[in-house]
Amino acid sequence: MKLIVLAPEDDNHTAPIKWALEKAGQKVVCWAGLSWTDEGQSSLLMDGDDTLILGGHSVDPGDVIWIRRPEVPVPNPKVSESDKKFASLEYRCFYHSIAYFFETLPVWCINNYSAARVMIQKAVQIRLARQCGLKTPATLMSNNPAAVRKFFSRDNARTICKGFTPHVWQKEGKMSVAITETFELTSDQLPSDEVLTYAPAIYQERVPKEYDIRMVLMGNHIYSYALKNKKQALDWRQDAGLGHVTAELVPTPPDVEKGVLEFARRSGVCFGSLDFGVDAQGTWWFLEINEEGQFLWIDQFNREARLLEKFCAFVTAPQGSNLPLEARQDLFPSLQEYEELLKNEQVAPIGRPRQEDPFLSMEA
Amino acid sequence: MDPNNRVLSRMGARELTEQEVDAVQGAFVRHTLTPCFIDKKQQLLNGDQSIGECG
Repeated sequence: MKLIVLAPEDDNHTAPIKWALEKAGQKVVCWAGLSWTDEGQSSLLMDGDDTLILGGHSVDPGDVIWIRRPEVPVPNPKVSESDKKFASLEYRCFYHSIAYFFETLPVWCINNYSAARVMIQKAVQIRLARQCGLKTPATLMSNNPAAVRKFFSRDNARTICKGFTPHVWQKEGKMSVAITETFELTSDQLPSDEVLTYAPAIYQERVPKEYDIRMVLMGNHIYSYALKNKKQALDWRQDAGLGHVTAELVPTPPDVEKGVLEFARRSGVCFGSLDFGVDAQGTWWFLEINEEGQFLWIDQFNREARLLEKFCAFVTAPQGSNLPLEARQDLFPSLQEYEELLKNEQVAPIGRPRQEDPFLSMEA
Repeated sequence: MDPNNRVLSRMGARELTEQEVDAVQGAFVRHTLTPCFIDKKQQLLNGDQSIGECG
């Protein structure tokens, strides 16, 4: 068995996990995604004894495929200008063929591509979560001004607004930066109808949360961390980025655990990072799941979390194993060890600059 | 900023403090970045949400 990671080797989660698995004697290879270069090329031969090659690596029975963060397919830049659009679509279609083909092979995908593509949709997440017994806030996704205004006219309800995707605006020639953030909005603050059609948005009942939960799902294993910051900000991420948040392991209420496992079963997702808000009554409100969400940062905030080791135990668990991940986590080194090596430049740096950032806009 | 010609999310966006801007420099171009927040360390926090056809 080998782990095939669909991501660049220097991806910030791939690099330490590959290092930890290799230290424990596991075989790990990376494929950054489909491209025209030698290492990006792929072949899928179907002649009765089907073979799939990713770069120089064959996909073999029993392999584990972690679809972490593959790059967007890259056609050969030398292709004729007249053929660029066609080549680009062909690359994209071939990548999709590969990603969906994994699901027909005797391999384990984390996560299945089809499940991942559906579960990235926030509307699907919220509906499925509710169907699985999880408590969800009333939500409107809309670009229809009348529907938005009606949603804001609910009795005694506070409302937040957020985008479907994050974004950054940077002023041209200046250091000034603005970042999308969940924000509270009242009906009085709503802009003109026309502005409401400029971009659809998510309008949601404000959860009266006391603190946040970041939950990491690994198969049947669930780890929940209470994220607390003194400011009780609506969005904990900014404070977390500045180190002002604590991450404390907390028990998951049985009904929430049951709902999450049912959510995982129905969605086909076996791995992901989930966000909940907890109110004063102790009720857990499902907010969202990012099926390839970041999780190693929790190890930085709470060294006892050992999510790197748990993830290594998860992806190398023998088929059908019901052992807790903790039983095998000691086989793997910690993120802290990796960070020491990184600090001393004994491992390659992570996250080199790449393609244009789709989340960044310049403004006057 | 003219509130009549910008999307609602831009109006609700948070202007970063000088300290935060300093922390975010260099982070925009990282591959897995979802720049909805700032991570001074390894950008392990960034990138919860991927976008596009592949992620």
